[in-house]
Amino acid sequence: MNILFAQMRRDLALIWAGRGEAAVMLAFFLIIITLFPLAIGPDVATLRPMALPVIWIAALLASLAGFSRIFAEDVRSGWVDQVALSPLPLGIYALSKAVTHWLAGGLPMLLATPVLALMLYVDLESLAPLILALTIGTMALTLLGVLAAALGEGARNGGSLMALLVLPLAVPVLIFGTLASTPDDGGLLSPHMLLLMAVLAVLLAIVPVAAAAALVEAETDSS
Amino acid sequence: MFDYLANPTRFMRLADLLIVPMAALAALLLAAGLYLGLLASPTDYQQGDTVRIMYVHVPAAWLATLGYVALGLCGLFYIVWRHPLADIALRAMAPVGALFAFLTLVTGALWGKPMWGAWWVWDARLTSMLILFFFYIAVIALANAFDTPERGSRPAAILALVGLVNVPIVKFSVDWWNTLHQPASLVRSGGVSIDPAMLTPLLLMLAGTHLFFAVVVILRMKALLAERRIAALQLRGTTGEAG
Repeated sequence: MNILFAQMRRDLALIWAGRGEAAVMLAFFLIIITLFPLAIGPDVATLRPMALPVIWIAALLASLAGFSRIFAEDVRSGWVDQVALSPLPLGIYALSKAVTHWLAGGLPMLLATPVLALMLYVDLESLAPLILALTIGTMALTLLGVLAAALGEGARNGGSLMALLVLPLAVPVLIFGTLASTPDDGGLLSPHMLLLMAVLAVLLAIVPVAAAAALVEAETDSS
Repeated sequence: MFDYLANPTRFMRLADLLIVPMAALAALLLAAGLYLGLLASPTDYQQGDTVRIMYVHVPAAWLATLGYVALGLCGLFYIVWRHPLADIALRAMAPVGALFAFLTLVTGALWGKPMWGAWWVWDARLTSMLILFFFYIAVIALANAFDTPERGSRPAAILALVGLVNVPIVKFSVDWWNTLHQPASLVRSGGVSIDPAMLTPLLLMLAGTHLFFAVVVILRMKALLAERRIAALQLRGTTGEAG
């Protein structure tokens, strides 16, 4: 447990030291959302029904921007080799990467979402389901990103490969996420919200194992 | 069987033995199926001649789905048993499966235009086939994304295996999404049972295309094995000169 906290503290310190990178993700999120009204027009009647899907798509695309570099520095500097030798399992290491990456990328986006939602004329009542769904959704997306980053580590064109790997796998997150953001009865724990949580649970089970298997290859390849 | 085939030379010998009869049988089945399907079978009382697209569309859709399962199994064999042919088979199969998924979408669009009045409908089945096509593209891209080709084998195998778990979830979510947004589906589910005059060519086409799939995959495996051998020989040649 100590070693896990040490790992996360290190990653958070590194993220804080290079906080410009995390800020770029947030700026990307804001810009995508700004572009939609510019393309669709400022009309309230057209913007309001599109607001929630627009926020979801923006969150999806903005998360993509940060994924390709998750393991790059650790593989290059030999940190992953050290983790492989340490008692910390590679799967748990991948999971801790997901947690720190979400804290740096997902959480700021969530904090900005209420303001952006108001700019897109979202009702105040539907803000709570949107925030909850987006919280779970960005966590699931981050897990997918960690998996894709582990699979594509060392590949030639990391950035576009991330999009190819993550987007098809992200379909359930997008579908259940947008549906859970607009519950029929207005309740917070709609069936879609529960399904979204189930998707997150499945990813929590799969991603550490798969990412660890991929990292073994990346690690032996680099040394 | 698997241990026996682990030796590529043995596999090549077996493949050489089987490939001609398999190809001949596939050609025969496809010829018979196409003749019966396109010329000798009756037209549908509602769909007219467009029903004949089904004889290509249905086998292609089967193969696209089956190919993905096979891809996942290859990934499993590669990761768990490090079977040397599993990687080759995965690389050989992925583009063929992607092609059949593409063929399914194209024939579906050709059928959809006269039948539904639109080339594309956001129906659950169409959408999940499109996403399956994207999955194939992702596996192919990942397998070839590295400077040394073999380096991509393990990531591609892992992705195929993850896809095996995830594709049903995607399918389920797309079904869910569709049932909420478009309750009156245009595709008749269940519907009319198929008349024998149409079933026979369909079964012939199914058998023929599956054999065709196997033949193409084996040929591609042979080509990939030969490619690797050439690369290995070239490597040996250059290091030999240097030393």
